[in-house]
Amino acid sequence: MSVRHAILGLLAQHPRHGYELRAAFSAVIGGDENWDVKPAQIYSTLNRLEEAGLVHQQAIEQNGGPEKRIYALTDAGRETLRDWFALGIAPEHQRDDFFVKLMTALVSGAADPGRIIQIQRSLLYQELHAATTLRETYNPRAEIAQILLLDKSIMHIEADLRWLDITEMRLEEIKRQPLPEPEVKPRGRPRKQ
Amino acid sequence: MSLIQAQDLTKTYGSGDTTVIALDHINLSVNAGEFVAIMGPSGCGKSTLLHLIGGLDKPSSGQVIFDGVPMAEMSDDALTMLRRRKMGFVFQFFNLIPVLSAVENAALPITLDGGKSAEARAKAVEWLTRFGLGERTASRPDQLSGGQQQRVAVARALVAEPALVLADEPTGNLDTRSGDEIASLLRSVSKDYGRTVIMVTHDPRIAAYADRIVFLKDGKMLDDTLLERKHV
Repeated sequence: MSVRHAILGLLAQHPRHGYELRAAFSAVIGGDENWDVKPAQIYSTLNRLEEAGLVHQQAIEQNGGPEKRIYALTDAGRETLRDWFALGIAPEHQRDDFFVKLMTALVSGAADPGRIIQIQRSLLYQELHAATTLRETYNPRAEIAQILLLDKSIMHIEADLRWLDITEMRLEEIKRQPLPEPEVKPRGRPRKQ
Repeated sequence: MSLIQAQDLTKTYGSGDTTVIALDHINLSVNAGEFVAIMGPSGCGKSTLLHLIGGLDKPSSGQVIFDGVPMAEMSDDALTMLRRRKMGFVFQFFNLIPVLSAVENAALPITLDGGKSAEARAKAVEWLTRFGLGERTASRPDQLSGGQQQRVAVARALVAEPALVLADEPTGNLDTRSGDEIASLLRSVSKDYGRTVIMVTHDPRIAAYADRIVFLKDGKMLDDTLLERKHV
C-alpha cells in the first residue's frame, strides 16, 4: 500500500510527527483533492509500522499543546523502503463500467454498440479537453504534482479512446462471432430416477 | 456568424466502376474564432475536406461558402487572393524554405503578395516574438528544433492577418511535448487572436485542445462533438 511506503519515504527525509506527515503527504501528491488521506489513517499506519518495527518513536514534544510523537525510520524500515523503490508496481486492473455496458449491448441486442461507442467517445473527449484545459492553468515551476497527475490521466483517456477506435473497427467482425453464453448447470439435488 | 459553410460537399475521384468517394455529402458550419479539429482514420476524407475548404481543390458537387461568398463563384485570381490574404496554412512537415531565415520564412506571405519588405519583416518579427522565437529570427530552419520550425510556420500562417488558419496534421512530425506546445499555440491563435482554426489530426490528445471535434468515416460525418461541457 503506497501510503505506508510514502510515510517511510517522508521519514527517510527527516523524522516527523503524525500531523506533519499528513501535510507532507498532501504536498507531495499535489493536494487533498488528488488523494485525501485522513489523519486517522496516518496515525493507524504509524502504529502498524511501529509494531512491525519499521519506525520508532524518537521523541515526544510538548510545547503547551497536545503531545507530538516524533517518528523516525528504523534500519528495517529503511530496507522496506529500498525494496519498494527497487521493484515495479503492477498496474491496477479496475472493473470497467463501460466495458460491461458495451458487452451488454452486444449480447442483448438492446442497444446499438456503435452508438454506445460514439456516446462514450464524445464523453471521453470532453474529459480530455477538460484535463488539457486544467493542465494549462497550473504553473510548471511550482505545481509539478498536479501537472504530472494530469499528464497521466490525459494519457489514460487517450488510451481508452484508442481502444474505442479499435473496438469500433472490429465491431462488424465481433457481430459475426458467437457471443458469450453462460454455462447453465442444473441446480439443486439431482432428481431421483 | 459562420465564417465557413460547407454545403452538401461531395468529392469523388475516378469514374465508373473505379469511382472513389472521398467525401460524401458533408455539411459543416464553422463560426468565426472557433477551433475545430477534424478526426478520423486514414482515408476517411479529412485532408480532402481541408483542401476543399482551403480552395486547394474543387468539390464534385456542393459548395464552400467563405464569409458569405461561394468560392465556386470566385475567379481563379480572386481565389488566389482569398487564399493569400484570408487564409494561413500549417503543414505536417513545416514546409519552410531551407535557405531563408526564420523571419524571411515567416514574412513570405506578405513579400510574395508584393508587400514592402520592411513591413513584412516587422510583422514577421512581431509574430515570431509572440511565439517565443524573438531571439531566433535570424536562424535558418536547420538550426531550429522541429517544434521551433513549426512555430515559425504558424507565424508564417498568421503574418498576413488571415481570418482562417488551416492546419494539416501540424503535430504529426513532432514529439509529444512539442506537439502539445503547437496545439496549445493553435488554441491561443483562436482564443487570444480570434482567428478561426481548422485542424486535421488523428491524435486524440491534440484534438482535445479544440472547441469541437468533427469525426469523419468513409467520407461521411459520423459525429460532431462540442468539447466544452455544458454547465448544467
